[in-house]
Amino acid sequence: MPPPLSRRAFLTAAAAGAVGLGLSGCASDDRAIVRFHSSKPESIPYFRELVARYNQEQSAARVVLDTATNLQAAFLRGSPPDVGCLNYNMEMARFMERGVLSDLSDMPEAGRIRPEVQQLADQYATFPGRTNVLPFSVAAESVIYNRAIFDEHGVEVPTTWTGFLAACETFQAAGVAPLYGTFKDNWTLAQGMFDYALGGLIDVPEFFAAITELGTAVGPDSPRSFQRDFLEPMERMRELVPFHQADAASRAYPDGNLAFARGEAAMYLQGPWVFGELAKTDPDLSLGTFPLPMTEDPDDRKVRVNLDLALWIPEGSRQQEAARDFVAYLMRAEQMDDFNAQFLGFGTTTDAAPATDERIQDMQEFYDDGRFYLGPSQLVPLAIPLANHVQSMVLGADLRSTLAGVDADWARLAFRA
Amino acid sequence: MIRHERTSWSATVLLSVAALSVLVPLYVTVTMALKTNQQAVDGNAFSLPWPLSWDNFAEAWTLTNFPRALGVSVFITVLAVVGNVLLSSLFAFALARNWERRWVRLAFYYVLAALFVPFPVVALPQVQLTGNLGLDNPVGVVALHIAFGLSFNTLLFTAFLRSVPAELEESARLDGATTMQTFWRLVFPLLAPMSATVAIFSFLGSWNDFMMPSLIIADPSLQTVPVVQKIFQTQFSSNYNISFASYLMAMAPAILAYVFTQRWVIAGVTQGAIK
Repeated sequence: MPPPLSRRAFLTAAAAGAVGLGLSGCASDDRAIVRFHSSKPESIPYFRELVARYNQEQSAARVVLDTATNLQAAFLRGSPPDVGCLNYNMEMARFMERGVLSDLSDMPEAGRIRPEVQQLADQYATFPGRTNVLPFSVAAESVIYNRAIFDEHGVEVPTTWTGFLAACETFQAAGVAPLYGTFKDNWTLAQGMFDYALGGLIDVPEFFAAITELGTAVGPDSPRSFQRDFLEPMERMRELVPFHQADAASRAYPDGNLAFARGEAAMYLQGPWVFGELAKTDPDLSLGTFPLPMTEDPDDRKVRVNLDLALWIPEGSRQQEAARDFVAYLMRAEQMDDFNAQFLGFGTTTDAAPATDERIQDMQEFYDDGRFYLGPSQLVPLAIPLANHVQSMVLGADLRSTLAGVDADWARLAFRA
Repeated sequence: MIRHERTSWSATVLLSVAALSVLVPLYVTVTMALKTNQQAVDGNAFSLPWPLSWDNFAEAWTLTNFPRALGVSVFITVLAVVGNVLLSSLFAFALARNWERRWVRLAFYYVLAALFVPFPVVALPQVQLTGNLGLDNPVGVVALHIAFGLSFNTLLFTAFLRSVPAELEESARLDGATTMQTFWRLVFPLLAPMSATVAIFSFLGSWNDFMMPSLIIADPSLQTVPVVQKIFQTQFSSNYNISFASYLMAMAPAILAYVFTQRWVIAGVTQGAIK
């Protein structure tokens, strides 16, 4: 129950006043306040500028950029931010699943989203009859390669599994590490070798739909299971381990960025977030990307994607109209194109401009054709320590028994749900 | 005389190692804060920064809106320290002088029981409670810091108060002092060394606390320094230089306060010992 307004007002005023901050300027302003939550650190200066521009262009609302709110607490307290723009994942999908996000399907912007991209959001969870999140930017991940090293050894970008192994052997014979591994940070394995091997070999959404359906029945005898479907991809993944540099087991993500930027390996299995880190050491590095080919048919190649940023408006927001207006502003075609060009993302709408950065543009055709998949590691709830399991498999644990362990975890989690 | 001049090498080595364990990380923090982006990721933590990149401080300053966050942190910390020292000492005084009453002893054990309830366990109810009471702001964090500090601080004060002879207070009463006068004029000054200890503990606790402000404070523009610094730590990027510049700015008041209060504490402790 809300307390008498006077006490709340008094305490808030006491807090603000005692801190001695000049908030009086905001109090006299009767524009609706829209709290815009975005916590992607590299894009904070960008959004700060965008918000300032928006506040100047119209007078109905004042948007405030919020980078520090704890979402769980805010939703629990009933005072969530008015617009969210964050990475969309399993954890965020929980909020959606429980119906705390509002339906945006009647916004014209929702109609511009590519259906395959909207489906990515639905793979995490859905709420019947609603479109709760609007994808804003998609990040695509594949094998990053050093063009200079490829040219030096006369290696072409491989399009088949055997071609890829042959390329690795060429580099190894020449004394160059084909792949740079950072096995110490297990997430780099999960988003890299693990996801690429699976995405290139199995139908990821179909598999997860099947085992979600099976639920507690997932196990050694079920028609679909991790131990059954993942075994071959994991064997392939293990074939790649010897092509990493010798000390891969003790290297962490920052070590890998430094070494790869210095040209110590030909290829690096990382997403676009790493380009900014690599540029710190060598801004002129000539890099390209290609999906890891897992079969003998070049048409089977796919890129891994994730919903780097997605927009949503909570049901609990008291500024629905103003929030929608800001979302519409964010989703203007030129605005989205500008963001994606700057942060190496791919557009989510049918009218989005293609990527022009040479580091990611080779993935554009796959993205346009819908040949992409959500990383399987992203579709397993955090309650199952998948990255740790992946790390053990890479370091030599028995594949069958490890995958059987994941099956047991999955069934247990389904039982609890 | 000869014994005085002999150097204890084992003690010197031990103290040097202890000193290095503080100085080495401090050295890395200071140099890292001055490095350029390229130097920050080159894997040499001990290299000297060149060219000096003072921009890191400016960037950290604007990225976190540092002055405002610092203001909130100072507000919370000062009130929490004052509140912790005053409330706990008063409570301990009341307890120690009424120890023969059964319900007073029960109250003491009741408050002490809170030692076994860490904040994370009751975090979500507290979020709802503070939200309903209009305390989802720095004032609420102060109240919770005091409430959660009460049991440990009272324990410290009561232990100390038991060693203060009751005759001292009786003499004050003979001179006509009221209970409050006895406390302010006589007991509270005697408690000074313990008050300093409590103040240092609650200063460090409030200044460095991340979880409570992050959960309790609803308005993001009223967040504390540790919470706004969260933006520097992600899985995918490492802005060591900027984050260390920011940490250095956040550490400065804590180090200053520590340097000053430490001298005071040592003085207080020796004073008590000579008596």
